[in-house]
Amino acid sequence: MQLYAPTSTTPKRKAFRAPALASLQGTRIGILENGKLNAEEMLGEVAQLFVQRHGCTVRTLASKSNASAPAPGNILVKVAQEVDFLLTGLGD
Amino acid sequence: MPGALSRIHEVPDDLLAAIDYCYEQGWTDGLPVVPPVVDRVKAMLEGDSRPAETVIASHPATGLELSLHAAAVNAVMAGCLPEYFAVLVAAFEAMDRPDFNFHGSTASTGGSAPLLVVSGPYADDIGMNADVNLFGPGNRANATIGRAVRLILRNVFQMIPGISDKSTQGNPGKYSFCIAERARGNPWPLLCEEQGYPTGVSSVTVFAGGGFCNVENHGGNEPEQILGSVADAMANYGCITLGQSVVILAPEHMRIVGDAGWVREDVQHFLFSHAKRTVEGMKGVGKYRDREYDRQHGEGAHALVEPGFVHRGLSPDDILITMGGGDAGGHSCFIPSWSRGRGSIMQHSPVGMRVDRAQK
Amino acid sequence: MVLCTEPFKVTARNIAGVLGLPDYPFLLVQHPIGSCTLPELKARAEVAYRQALPILLQD
Repeated sequence: MQLYAPTSTTPKRKAFRAPALASLQGTRIGILENGKLNAEEMLGEVAQLFVQRHGCTVRTLASKSNASAPAPGNILVKVAQEVDFLLTGLGD
Repeated sequence: MPGALSRIHEVPDDLLAAIDYCYEQGWTDGLPVVPPVVDRVKAMLEGDSRPAETVIASHPATGLELSLHAAAVNAVMAGCLPEYFAVLVAAFEAMDRPDFNFHGSTASTGGSAPLLVVSGPYADDIGMNADVNLFGPGNRANATIGRAVRLILRNVFQMIPGISDKSTQGNPGKYSFCIAERARGNPWPLLCEEQGYPTGVSSVTVFAGGGFCNVENHGGNEPEQILGSVADAMANYGCITLGQSVVILAPEHMRIVGDAGWVREDVQHFLFSHAKRTVEGMKGVGKYRDREYDRQHGEGAHALVEPGFVHRGLSPDDILITMGGGDAGGHSCFIPSWSRGRGSIMQHSPVGMRVDRAQK
Repeated sequence: MVLCTEPFKVTARNIAGVLGLPDYPFLLVQHPIGSCTLPELKARAEVAYRQALPILLQD
């Protein structure tokens, strides 16, 4: 008996991580919050630890209007140009 | 970009072993499936003249694509007949729109299931049920079309319970949640007509349904009494949000409303005006948000929005209402949207007509 | 840096794999966040910060 698989045939993606930072001193942080309760506050508290301990600056705070949709490409492009690393959240 | 055809699995020529094989592969919703043999999939595809590799939906976060072929495989597994395929395809073409957000509504802890409401003559043509036991069980078309939706979400889009589907408690509708709108005895235009489709064209409306609330009222005999109980269900503290609503009125209730001359718009306005809670009440249960109140009451607020209250939805148009169910019984229902904000907006698509994804 | 809570660890790993980075390191903190008080958020932030350091510097 021959059965078709019910799964997608979309080819697997490949991606790569950003290169390591040489130092955290003075780096620029972006925050992308997803609109969930306390998301902005949580990410802000993490960012503040970097500000206090490494002299980082928080360059940009962006918000997703829809927590479960991908961030719009234009937001990511803009933020990526302005920061050294981004803080964001997933799930609840 | 067209998808490739699915991989073939060779299994022993034994039906029960093939059913077990499908379980072992993780292809089921927990119930046995019809093994997707090649001939049945080919027969299913005859319901759509486009190439089998045609992509009809894609996952916004992962990019995984649903081809007609993969839809047909899952439709066979669900137990669909080929004549049901057009409804399933139309449903995913509607769900593919960004405003529906099928990823969010499926992945969320909120546990919604896509509700399909088929409107128009196609529902009768394929033997769908709009009558007794509207939401099941018992009707092959209703049950299997809804089931195919879930199998596709699981198998094609990999929305797997516990992994990428994090619904806290699930929802029985996640097995199947598909109905036909009742035309017989319906005093209002059908949804497909309201939605602007030409005469004779049927539609499927998709809605991220967060649950099912039976609204019982056997003593009321005025529209305000019946609809007052519906509005109260819509405004219960566990459900009230800015999200949309589906209300299916039982024929007994619709007769009271229709005989009094109320049209759909009258009912939507009444429900929107009455499905509300005070700001103090919302604060008392920890559900008040300034951001949401401002959104409902700020610029562009609907004329029926009342200061000091949080209404369900943003406007009467957020309430889809029609008739369904058996002739006897004062049991209507309210189905809340999964989306507490505007994260999923109901969509509709014509059945049996091609949709060009490039134009969406 | 992607922060998520423990119950979503499996979800995060799954989506990372689908997107082509199966070993992507997440910042994992205690669930929930939505109902946390400020002191609870600060405690979680400290946990996340300590996890983030080696990831950012790829130590």
